[in-house]
Parts: sequence; structure tokens; C-alpha cells
Amino acid sequence: MTEMPKESAVDAAVTKKLVEIVGEANATDYKHIRYAYSYDLSFVKAKLPDYVVMPTCVEQVQAIMKLANELKIPVTPFTAGSNIGGLCIPEDGGILLDMKRMNKIIRIDEESHYAIIEPGVSHAKLASALYKFGLRWSWPVGPPSGSVSSNALCHGIGGLSGRYGLNSEEITSMEVVLPSGELVRVGSCAIQEDAWHSCMPLPRVDGLFTGWLGTTGIVTKMGVRIHPIPPILKVFTTSTEKLGHMGSYLRNLGNYEICDDLTGVSWWLSQVPIPYPYKPKPADAPEWVSFATTFSWTEKEKEAREEIWKMVFDEEVKKGTSLKETVYPPEALKARTELPSQIVGSTKNYTKQAGGGISWPGTFTPLNKWEPIYDEWKKILIARNLSPAVRVTNYRGVHYGMLRAMIPFPKQDPVATENARMGIVECLRVDLDHGGVPYKPPVDFGLEINKRAHPGYVSLLKQVKNMLDPNDIMNRGKLAL
Amino acid sequence: MKWDIPTLEELEDVIWKCTACGNCKTAYEYGPPPKNGEICPAGVEFGFDGNMASKGKIAFARGILDGELEFTEEFVDAIYKCTVCGGCQNQCELDHKPFIPEIIEAMRRKAVADGAGPMPSQKVIAQSMRSFNNPYQGPRRVRTDWTRPFKKAKKPIKNIMKEDAPILYYVGCTGAFNLPVRNLPVATASIFQKLGLDFGILGENEICCGSTAMRLGDVTEFQRVAETNLKTFKDLHDNHGVKTIITSCAGCYRAIKKDYSMSHEYDEMLDGIEVIHTTDFLYNYFKEGKLEFKNEVPWKVTYHDPCHTGRHLLEYDIDKDGSQQWVGSYLGKREDNCLYDIPRDMLKAIPGIDFREMERSRNNSYCCGGGGGVMTGYGDWAAKNAGLRIEEGMDTGAEHMVSICPFCHYNLNEGAKRVKSDMKLYDLVELLDMAL
Repeated sequence: MTEMPKESAVDAAVTKKLVEIVGEANATDYKHIRYAYSYDLSFVKAKLPDYVVMPTCVEQVQAIMKLANELKIPVTPFTAGSNIGGLCIPEDGGILLDMKRMNKIIRIDEESHYAIIEPGVSHAKLASALYKFGLRWSWPVGPPSGSVSSNALCHGIGGLSGRYGLNSEEITSMEVVLPSGELVRVGSCAIQEDAWHSCMPLPRVDGLFTGWLGTTGIVTKMGVRIHPIPPILKVFTTSTEKLGHMGSYLRNLGNYEICDDLTGVSWWLSQVPIPYPYKPKPADAPEWVSFATTFSWTEKEKEAREEIWKMVFDEEVKKGTSLKETVYPPEALKARTELPSQIVGSTKNYTKQAGGGISWPGTFTPLNKWEPIYDEWKKILIARNLSPAVRVTNYRGVHYGMLRAMIPFPKQDPVATENARMGIVECLRVDLDHGGVPYKPPVDFGLEINKRAHPGYVSLLKQVKNMLDPNDIMNRGKLAL
Repeated sequence: MKWDIPTLEELEDVIWKCTACGNCKTAYEYGPPPKNGEICPAGVEFGFDGNMASKGKIAFARGILDGELEFTEEFVDAIYKCTVCGGCQNQCELDHKPFIPEIIEAMRRKAVADGAGPMPSQKVIAQSMRSFNNPYQGPRRVRTDWTRPFKKAKKPIKNIMKEDAPILYYVGCTGAFNLPVRNLPVATASIFQKLGLDFGILGENEICCGSTAMRLGDVTEFQRVAETNLKTFKDLHDNHGVKTIITSCAGCYRAIKKDYSMSHEYDEMLDGIEVIHTTDFLYNYFKEGKLEFKNEVPWKVTYHDPCHTGRHLLEYDIDKDGSQQWVGSYLGKREDNCLYDIPRDMLKAIPGIDFREMERSRNNSYCCGGGGGVMTGYGDWAAKNAGLRIEEGMDTGAEHMVSICPFCHYNLNEGAKRVKSDMKLYDLVELLDMAL
């Protein structure tokens, strides 16, 4: 059972003003509507917003923010609520700003390869629209109904991150409503109304909004880089007995920058679903499997990629590692290479067995630190009867890497939920001790991050936050400052 | 009779299987090419997450079970603002998937039991059921009005209580009482006569199947008519030679096949009787080459899959003893009973028909907006939603839309009026009758 959500501080006069801005159909303080926004997939405790508002245009967003700023009412931005870090659960009540009604694809520029989207545009919607032009985006392993712009803003990743990096690195321009209600622009659209192609060569003030977990402004339009879909897909699949061997292979192959996605997963994560509670892997099953996704325009290009892959494979075998070619579990492979995917989107592969809850220690961790951290994680998780369902992925060749564990839990059971939460926080501490950094962190993680942060960093965060949001209304509390 | 109709409390364990991932909010298929479309009529209209798809409805259910949400007027209204179309259910892959419509209806049953439901406009239905045995406040004698052309043509239709026949044509209330849809039973009976079938109707003795009452959560009224019908069906089999019950209403078909099966006596009462939808029944003749189309119907048409003859008839495999995955695990779904290909195959075979498929079809068909008591409770919204579906049909270039459910038929016609479209709804049997 969930804990009792925070009792509301609804003020009918505020509701009335919100209704005046967006109309009766798009603003409410009814408890049953607020309740549906009080929890998400994660272990984060349920908390009620006081109002829910669905703006349909930028002017309405501005008016809402002006009102909230004037009355110092917290505002929690929401698009789909499909993150697994409780990022859209209001810490302190206030207005839940549901952006799903602003869901237009404003432009797909098939020549210059960028799109302009509103925050409510889902991966499913953009995928369907882009495909008609032979184009794609770096689709994450999340629900097709998830928001493209929210994923990008929170440094989400996708199926092209091996090649292009994080989805936030693909942002080309933004229109943002500040907590004061002021409308600003960053990137090329700031200089020329209709130019949405690049954040450079201007100062990177887009960084004021990416990675801030919705605490600095409401992005109302976003330009994103989009990419052509080469017709020939080749996925290389391998296995190893140890993460060290897998890491060596991934680093080696990553050097050649031929993969769109280069990922290794532990046996537990390659199962659909992740076993809950923990069960030992079969003795004859390798502990790690990997997929390396490559796309080519011609058969010759594909052959060249195969040649490189074979060379790397042979080098790794010669090193005496346990690397083998393998058959990746088919449904799991489909879930990760046919994106957006309903298999991952429905959380079937994550939490179908446990039921109800899924969260993670999700981190950016250098490739050479994966193995020692994984060894610790495995001990922590198995001791808590949780599967070490871990994924490692290269970003932009080998520049940085992701290390994360998907931890399902039965949400109906508060003891089991707390067990998972504790396991996740313990894993986080280990990662931080090795130089990793958690991403899309719930407040619990944010506290751990800030504890270890350079004082100047925390001070700078506070100064920037105070400059943009002096009344601290935007997603209050989420930065754990 | 004993019934296994679950309460909300009995469904609590499966309710907690929902992750709130929101996968249910949109109809998406990987393809390639990828397909995407709105799937939840309530989500399209009302937008808040609570209104939307199974994610929202499960939140309501949790809130009730938590004790956080009480049946206020606005909350009950939100519970009934759902067509229970199962579109969200089709997207889900978790263990509560097979139970999603049941969870929604269990909330309604609880609301009714607590005296809070259904909505005032829907209470008319319950009252009508009690007074007239149908939801349309139709006097008994009106039930047979549609048979007049047959009497006039001296081809009367048998009253099965007076003259035995192996086939009972269970007409359904909508075809009998709803004037704009009355051509449905006429065309059905006309085809049966052209095929030389020995069939009869219950006439003034027919009573509602109870589908509407069940959709609204009025389990008492549902059980009353269902039990009466089951006894009637048994009597017809035992004493009047009935071996087949044909329904041309998707709602009746779903109710008798699925809702009635929650009775402990279901197998016994329907022993020796096959319950079949008209479309499915005629398909057997079609396959054997016994439907000889003599006339051209030179129309461009599209086909709307009713929820009741489509995804509501999906069968879900659940690991009951834990031998395959774990107890209660949803293993997969089977479409064997869904009427997807059958109506399309027959429609395409009619000479002159130019068939156009809509973007959202089959399991991901977009609900007309009339189900789940919405047409009665929220007629304006039902028609508005039907207008969206009509526009989707028009996008295919079709002139007319064909379906096999009188409810969809009526509501989509209302939608066409709403968007000022010339598109007209036809039941498949109307076109078959024209072609035969």
C-alpha cells in the first residue's frame, strides 16, 4: 500500500484564477484528478498536487507562471510522468502543470535534419511522423507515450547515444517560459525567429535548462537534431563470463565509433521479465551478453563494419577473454533494438514479475570503473534478494559510459519497496565513491550527490537557481539543495 | 444462480500490478512503419491523466481502495466517463491486463452498491430495464414492429414460443427499438429467408441481454435479466429444438458469450446451444459458396471494428498454477473469437465494393464513443467522439462506413451529423442483403 498522500492546501480562489487562464476543462482541484498525479513507477512516496492545469498555448503557460510566481505556489512540470525517479511527483503540493495538450510537431525539416516539437509530443508520435521522411530520433527504452522533449531535457539516452551521445546533446534550440512568466529563447531561434538549427556558436545557455529536472523553466518548444535511417541493420551479439571482459570488448569496439548503440547487459536484465525475487542464473548461461547495433547504407559499408567488428572480436579472444558470439535472448533484443518499443514501454521486461514498481541506480560512470562497481552492486542486491539486472553502455564512442541497474519491486508491499529503495541508495553510494554520477536522480539520490559535491558547485547551482527562480517555485525540492 | 462477478476488493492484487508507465495511453505499433494513434476517447476529450486509459482508471481504483477517494459527484462522473472500450487494455503487457475492463466495471459496481452510481442520466436505463425489460423505455409490443414488412409480404417470421425452430434470432433491444437502426434486424431476417433458414424470434417475449446494466455496474439488474434469458435459452433448447442462437448486436453477443459465463450454471444452461454473431454465422455460408451475390454495390466503404466483437473477445492466457511463469502471470492473448477478418472478407467479396482501411483498426480500432453507458450518460461527447471516427473514415476516401454493431451504427451516424459529413453507416448485413 502507498502511504497517505499529503493533504491538500487547495484554495478555491487560485483554482478560479487558473480556470480563467486555461478554461474550466483544463484546470481542476478535484482530488481524484490530483490523486492520479501523486505517484509514478518509482519508490518515491506519493504526494498530491493541489491543482492540475493543462495549458494549450505558450501564453497560457506564461500566465500560469506569472500567477504562481506572484502567489509563490510551487509548479511541477509534467508531460507523461514516465520517468522512474519521481521527478514529476510534487514535493510541496502546488500546481501540476500537465503539458500534454501542447503536442504539435511544428516542423520536420527534412533537408536540414531538425524538428521543432512541443513538450507533449510523444516518442510514438514523432517516430510515426519522422518515418515518413526516412528519419529517426534516438528513441529511449521507455514508453512510446513518453515525452521526447522531457527525455532530452533530463539527459535521457536512446538508441543512437553510442554514436551521438545524450539526447540533450541533440537539442538545437529552445523556447522557454521562466518562472517569472518571461518568455526566452536559447540557440539559433534566439537570433532569428525561424531558425532552430543549432545551439552553437552562441553561449550555451541551453545548459540553464538541461539536467535541471524542471527546476528552472518550462520548455514550450524544442528544436532537435534528427537523423536519416540507413536501410541495412546489422546487430552483433556477444557474451562473456565477466564484466571486465565485456568492458574490454565494448571499449575496443567503441574506439571505432561504428555503432549506434553499444550495450552490455547482465543475464538478469536479458530476461523478460527481470526475475523477482533474485534467482541464480543457470550455470551454463554467460553472465553478460551484448548487442552492438550498426546501420549501413550499402552492403559494402556493412561488410566494412563487419570487418572491423571481426578484427575487434579476434583481438579480444586473443587476449584470453571469455568473449563469444552468442544468440541474444530474442524478445530482449527486440525490446532494445526495435524502438520505440512496447516491450520496454509497458515495463514488461522490467517489472512484470515483481509487479507495480521499478526504479534504478542510473549513473554516468567511466567505462573503466564498471567492473568494480558491478561487483559491489551484485553483493548489495543479491543480499537484498534483488536481481543484479545491470546495463552498461558506451556513449559517443568511449567518451563516457552508463551503468545502471533496473530494480523491480512489488509496490503493494511497503517492506519490499523500502528494501528496493535501500538497495538502490546503497548502490548509488558505491557508484559515487568510484567517481560516477547519478542521472535523473530522485531526491534521495540528489542528497547523496550534493553531500559529496564541491562546495563551489552547490553554491553555483543555488545562485543560478535563485537568479532564474527567486521564489523557488519550479519543481521545488527536486535538486535536493 | 451463483455468479463469480468480482468486487473491487477482490481485484486489489491485480490492481497493484499496474506500474503507471502510461504505455496504455497511445496505440502504438513498431511496424515498420511505426503506427501511432489516440486510443482513449476519454483521454482525448478530458485529457487529465486520471481520465486517461487504464493508468488513470487504476489510479481511481487505488484511491478507492486506499480510502483516499470517496464517491463525490465529480468522482463518480469521472468513473463513468469511460467507454470501457478496452483500447488501453490492448497496449498493456502486465499481469493486470486481462482484468482492466473488469476493474473499471468493478468500480462502477461499487459505486452502484454504495448508492453513488450510475449518473442520473443513466439511472433512466436502470428504471427502464425494471419497467420495460429494455433500456429504451420501449413497450413490449413495439419489439416486433420491425417484422411488419415481412407480414405484409406474407413471409411472417416465426414466434419461436409458438412454432419450433432450430435457430433463435435474438434481435436485441437496439435493433428493435432504436428507429435509425431498425434496418438491421430487417436485413438480417431478409437474408435468413433468402437462405431458406428455419428460424424464429422471441418477439414480445424477448428481454434485454443486460449488457447495458452490466456496463453501468448495475449487477442486480444484469443478473435478473441474464438468469431469465439463460432459463429461456435452456427451455428453447429442451422444448423447442433450438440449437443455435444468433445475435446481430455486438453488445448482446459479448454479454451472452462473456458476461453470462460468470454464472456457475452457464455451461449447463447453454449445453447443446451455439451462440454466434450473425456475421460469423453467415461466414459459414459464405465459405461454402452459399451466399450468391447477384447485385453490385458500387460503393467506396471502410469498416469500423466494434469493441464488443473485437478486442472484448480476446482471450487471455493466464498461468493459473504457476507451472509456466508464476501464479497469475499474463502469458498471451488469442484473437480466435475476434471478428476481424470475417466481416472484411465478406465485405470485400461483394461485387462493386471498393474497400478502404482506416489507420486504426482491428485491436487498435478507435472506439465510436458510445459504449460503457456513455451514449446514454454523455450523448454529446459520444457524438463528438464518433465525429472523430467518421473523419478518420473520410480520410480514407470512403463514402460509407460499415460495422456490425447497432450501437456503433447509431452513434457513428450521430457523429456524421455532428461533423456535417455525408458518410452514412451501414450494417454489414444491409450490404449483404442488397447484394444477394
